[in-house]
Amino acid sequence: MIKLLKSSIFWLLILSLAVLTACTNSDNATKEDEKETPKPGASEGTVSEDAIVSIEFWHAMSGTGQESLDSIVKGFNDSQDKYEVVAEFQGTYEESLTKLRGVGGTKDAPAITQVFEVGTKYMIDSGYIEPIQSFIDKDNYDLSQLEENILNYYKVDGELYSMPFNSSTPVMVYNKDAFKEAGLDPEKAPETFSDVINAAARLKKGEMYGFSMLTYGWFFEQLVATQGGLYVNEDNGRSGDATEALFNGPEGLNVFDFLDTMNKAGTFGNFGTNWDDIRAAFASGKVAMYMDSSAGVAGAITTAPFDVGVAYIPYADEVKRNGVVIGGASLWMSKGIAEKEQEAAWAFMKYLTTPEVQAQWHLDTGYFAINPKAYDEENVKEKWAEFPQYKVTVDQLQDTVPGLATQGALISVFPESRQQIVTALEDLYQGKDPKEVLDKAAEATNRAMEIANKTKK
Amino acid sequence: MTSLEKPGIWKKTANGRTALLYLLPSILLFSVFVFYPMFRTIYLSFFLTDQNGDAAIWVGFENYSYLLESTAFINSMKATGLFVLYTVPIGIVLALFFALLANEKLKGIGFFRTVYSSTMGISVAASSVIWLFMFNPSMGMFNRLLSLLNLPQIQWLLDPQWALLSVSISTIWMNIGFSFLILLGGLQNIDEHLYESSRIDGAGYFYRLRRITLPMLSPTLFFIITISLINAFQSFGQIDILTQGGPSASTNLIVYSIYREAFINYQFGTASAQAVTLFIIILVVTILQFKLGERRVHYQ
Repeated sequence: MIKLLKSSIFWLLILSLAVLTACTNSDNATKEDEKETPKPGASEGTVSEDAIVSIEFWHAMSGTGQESLDSIVKGFNDSQDKYEVVAEFQGTYEESLTKLRGVGGTKDAPAITQVFEVGTKYMIDSGYIEPIQSFIDKDNYDLSQLEENILNYYKVDGELYSMPFNSSTPVMVYNKDAFKEAGLDPEKAPETFSDVINAAARLKKGEMYGFSMLTYGWFFEQLVATQGGLYVNEDNGRSGDATEALFNGPEGLNVFDFLDTMNKAGTFGNFGTNWDDIRAAFASGKVAMYMDSSAGVAGAITTAPFDVGVAYIPYADEVKRNGVVIGGASLWMSKGIAEKEQEAAWAFMKYLTTPEVQAQWHLDTGYFAINPKAYDEENVKEKWAEFPQYKVTVDQLQDTVPGLATQGALISVFPESRQQIVTALEDLYQGKDPKEVLDKAAEATNRAMEIANKTKK
Repeated sequence: MTSLEKPGIWKKTANGRTALLYLLPSILLFSVFVFYPMFRTIYLSFFLTDQNGDAAIWVGFENYSYLLESTAFINSMKATGLFVLYTVPIGIVLALFFALLANEKLKGIGFFRTVYSSTMGISVAASSVIWLFMFNPSMGMFNRLLSLLNLPQIQWLLDPQWALLSVSISTIWMNIGFSFLILLGGLQNIDEHLYESSRIDGAGYFYRLRRITLPMLSPTLFFIITISLINAFQSFGQIDILTQGGPSASTNLIVYSIYREAFINYQFGTASAQAVTLFIIILVVTILQFKLGERRVHYQ
């Protein structure tokens, strides 16, 4: 009797363990299946399967970005027979970063991960990554062929930690037809805050608002930076760990006053936090001017039934224009994986920066070419001749005055700070005092930075 | 096993041990998937975590005291309370209404039963995306209707006054299918004889509804109220897709705020403290409900 009981307990234990492990196993199994599916091109080579180093590449590109990226990866795999890159879409930037935290620093980590620009500080501090500077030095890779203004953002203490990949900046997109109707010069977009306010007042007509901006922290950062304002102390977090937010200073207040003036005058349209919504509003004639990413210019031109103009972002009247901070994402190489996998990752990164690949990437997506030679490629020249608006985005980047402000801030709690700015903007649009809401966001950012500095290893 | 002595402790507990044996598989599964995460959450709520989410600095109850002082969290609690108030009573009354209608024996009633319960077959994500289109300020269906009727346009998801209401409307719609199905099942279980004899006594429809249907349905109603309450407290998907907690944090329900804190801000300590607070709130509400509500439940 007792024996029976004991043995049945034993078997039950085994059974439940089996069930438990089965749960976890199924995940691995599917992943391995994916890996084993031979990629076209890779299996065509004469070299046996074992000799090919296969690496994973986690990215956050969906839609046209993903299509373009997949074809670039295929191009790389076909171009040589030593390495094979497997691109895996891992959700949004936030989601893939969360997944990376699970495997970071181990040999299961993907060789290459795409991380958004505000994750830069986090990645450097994480200890998951191999700075690509070490490969640049080893390989004597010539960095000067890449766009300087983009490298400036990703360089920390003179070292490049990750390879810039998809880079974008903000631009102001406007409806040329509406400009004509309102008696404004469609070839000359308003440049300063007060110009924009005046133009918005003249453009407001019926259902059409004058100006709009996506409720997103990135645009606020840009409008502060173009006035030469810093986001946080310690030289924008580049000479040490930032401890205090500076964005509630005069530059930040300028931006909030600028938005508040138009909001109170009824010329500002609020289309929320969703990129698609504000783009739809522009295309359907509900707003005449709005701020978009340079990566959205191609879409705006093709979907809008009217003439679309692209201009530099506005700046406060009393200051000089400084330009824009680079946005987008870069590619990070993992630490803790096999050396030949790192070499494969480096080979792929070098392939990505060639002018041909960058030209294709620029044309497919509207992201910048990180290698300016791409702009000399025939297909880019043709496209630019057809759509001169593309060139404006590149000019704005190349006209940028290098400096601490336009280099962009480095803080590890950027996602949280951006959320605070979003709440501040939403409060502002509800008619609250600009100074008050901005101070509240700064205070919350300060607390987040304090905790991050305290818990840093 | 042939002695005359008193049964030993081993024998006395035979029943208990057998019970444990049967419970073993679920205890094992529960400990891995429920108990361990729960205790880990409570543990983490007393710490500040580092970038890898590991406990770094012991802060005692500081996370909790910060939460109770933070206007953002109090605002989250208020929003959650309002959301529960908006969605649960209306959702259940509507579901009950539809269930009563669909309980009539008519030709083709199966079609209506399928239609009313159909929202159960749509995932939260899919239905939220549909609602997102309908709420769209530029090309959404609702604003088109309003402009056809010459009414002022409403910023459904962008106006803090409206956003919570809009999310609630879509949530009610999503949850009706499930409540409807459970309530219909309860209605079908009510003994037909009760109605027959009351009809002979000359009772009208509403009298029968009040004196037979509702009392006989009360266990089901109690069940669905409990489930809906807990569900409403834990709503996440529709918030994430429709508003991301905005505008002005007006739809930042507690579960969403936990998600933000943990997976966007990487503050597992304060996120855990919020999770524990939510757990206590739900526990208290459920206990209150059992104490107050169950008295009125009529079990056969």
